Amino acid sequence: MSFEIPTISYNGVIRQITVGKEPNCVTVGGESCYPFYLFEGAMPHLPRIAMEVYDAPPEDWPQAALEPFADVVHDPAAWAQKCVGSYGAEMIALQLASTDPNAQDTPAEKAVEVTKKVAAAINVPLIVWGSGNLEKDKEVLRMISERCAEETLLLGPVEEGSYKALGAASLAYQHTIAASTPIDVNLAKQLNILLGNLGVPDDRIIIDPTVGALGYGLEFCYSVMERDRMAALTQEDERLQFPIVCNLGKEVWKIKETRLSEEEAPLLGDPLKRGVLLEAMTALLFLLAGGDIVIMRHPDAIQLVRGLMNELMGEGV
Amino acid sequence: MILIGENLNVMVKRIGQAIKEKYPKPIQALAVAEAEAGVDYIDINLGPARKGGEELMEWVVRIVQEVVDLPLYLDTTNVKAIEAGLKVYKNKQGKAVINSIMCRPERMEAQIPLVTKYDAGMVALLWGLEGMPRDAAERGALTADILQRATDAGVAGEDVWVDPIITPVNVQQNQLLECNKFISELDMIAEIVSPGCKSTCGLSNVSNGAPDHLRPILNQTYMMILEKLGMKSCIVDAFDEDLHEIARGTRPEITALVHRVVDGDEEGIADLSHEAQEYVKTAKVLLGHSLYSDSWLEL
Repeated sequence: MSFEIPTISYNGVIRQITVGKEPNCVTVGGESCYPFYLFEGAMPHLPRIAMEVYDAPPEDWPQAALEPFADVVHDPAAWAQKCVGSYGAEMIALQLASTDPNAQDTPAEKAVEVTKKVAAAINVPLIVWGSGNLEKDKEVLRMISERCAEETLLLGPVEEGSYKALGAASLAYQHTIAASTPIDVNLAKQLNILLGNLGVPDDRIIIDPTVGALGYGLEFCYSVMERDRMAALTQEDERLQFPIVCNLGKEVWKIKETRLSEEEAPLLGDPLKRGVLLEAMTALLFLLAGGDIVIMRHPDAIQLVRGLMNELMGEGV
Repeated sequence: MILIGENLNVMVKRIGQAIKEKYPKPIQALAVAEAEAGVDYIDINLGPARKGGEELMEWVVRIVQEVVDLPLYLDTTNVKAIEAGLKVYKNKQGKAVINSIMCRPERMEAQIPLVTKYDAGMVALLWGLEGMPRDAAERGALTADILQRATDAGVAGEDVWVDPIITPVNVQQNQLLECNKFISELDMIAEIVSPGCKSTCGLSNVSNGAPDHLRPILNQTYMMILEKLGMKSCIVDAFDEDLHEIARGTRPEITALVHRVVDGDEEGIADLSHEAQEYVKTAKVLLGHSLYSDSWLEL
C-alpha cells in the first residue's frame, strides 16, 4: 500500500470582492484552500496590505512609528501620497480617530472633507475606518457614504448596532462594508445574515473579525479566523465565504512593548526594531489565519511582511 | 426518556420565599402539579443553602413526601444538607438521588459513602479538578474515575447518573459536539466498571442565550438527538408539554427524522414540510453540521 498525503476536502470558495473604483480597484478573496495551502487549492489574489493615514496628527505615537511620517502628519492627503509614492501602498486606510467624542470629536462634515482630499490624492482604493464609537460612526460613516458616493469606499466598522443605518447607505451608494463583530464566529455569521436580509449584496461584504496584537489575545482572534475559514471552505457556509480585513496597526502600536524606551525596558531591545517586528509578526500571523487585507502602519514592517508573503507564495524574496 | 422536573428551585421567587418562611403550601402545590404533569422525578434545588441548609432540606423533603410519592433529586452544593435530606427520605416509588457529586477527590471521598449508607442514587457531575472538561476524552477519563470509585464503594451501576454538562450551542458549539460524542460512548465506557449506569443532563442549558422564541425548538430537537445518542434522562421544565410529548414518543415522525439526521441520512429532506425542515436545520446546528447563528432557521 502506498502512502498518500492526507488532504482536506474543500467544498466552498471565498467570494472575490473588488474594492475601489475603476481603474484603481483591487480584488481580494477567491481562495479555494486554507491560507497559503497552495498544494491543495488556489489563492488567485495575494492578500493586500493597506497603509494607515490618520485624519489628525497623532499625539501619542512612539518615535519608531512617527519617524517615517514626521513630515506629513499634519496633512492626511500628503501622508497618503507619501504612503503610495514612497512606500508603494496598495491601499490606504484613513483612520478617523479624531472623530471620537472622547478625542477631538471632529464633526462629520470635517471627516467628509478629509476623506475627499485623501481620495483625490491617491490612485489606490481607500478604506475609511470610524473611531469605533457606535453613535458617532453611524453619523460620520453615513455622511461619508452619501457625499463620497463616487469613490466606492470600504467602510468600517459596521456593527450589529449600526448595520441598518450603514448597510442601507452602502446599498444606496455602492460602497463595500467591513462587517465587524467582537472576536466571535457565530456573531460574524449572524451579522452577515442580517446584512443579507437588509439587501446588501454579497459582493460588498468583507468580514472584520476584530483583532488584537501579538501578546494581547492574538491566539483567540487567530482561532476565530480559522473557524471562519473552516466553515466557509469545508462546511459550505455561505454566510462566511467573505474575505477578511484585519485592522492591526493601531492595535500593535498601542501595546506597551512598542512604546517603552530602551531605558525603561533594556531587555526588550532596540525600540525602533521592536515595534516593527511586533507589527510584522502580528500581520504575518493574521495572514496565515486567513486575512485578505491587513491594515498596517510602519513601512519596514510592511516590507518584511511582503517578503514573507512572496516566499509563502513560492515567489522568492 | 426519564424526565426530572426542575421547577422546585429556590431561585424561583415564590418558592424561595416559601422556603424562607417555612410555608409549605406553595411548595406542596408545585410538587403535586409537577407530578400531575407527568415527570418521573422531582428535583429539589436549594442552591448553595449555606445557612441552615440541613434543617431546610429535611423540612422540604418531609413536606414534599407528604403530598407526592415520586422519587426526588436532592440538589444543593451543601453536602451536609444532602445527608439531612437522605436521613428523612422515604423510598416510596424509588430511591432519592444526590444531585450532584463532582469528580473532585475530596467531593467523591466525602459523598460517595452517603450513597450506600442511605441506599440512594447519585449524579456523577463531570466537573473535575480543572473545572469543566475540554473534550470527550476528558469526560471519559473523569467518568472512568468516578464510576470506579462508586463501584468500589458498592454503588450499583443503575444508581449512577452521569451528567456530561451541556453547554450553550450559541457560544460553545464545539464543546457541545464533544458532549454529544461522549454520550454516544458512555455505555462503552461504563460497560466494564459500572454496567447499567444511567445519564442525565440540564437540557435547557443548550439553548441558554439563544433568542427566547427559538429556545423550545432547540430544547426539543436536542432531546431527540440525546435520546438517539443514549441519554437516559433530562432535567426539564415540568410544564413543557412539547418535551413531554417527545419523551413519551408521541411525535414519532419528527423524532425519526431527527434521528435520520444524526445518522447522516438526508435523503429527500428538501421535500419536507416547513416544520419538518426547521427540525432538520436545528439538528444540523446541534450536530455541528452547520455553524450556529441566531438566524439558523432562516437560512
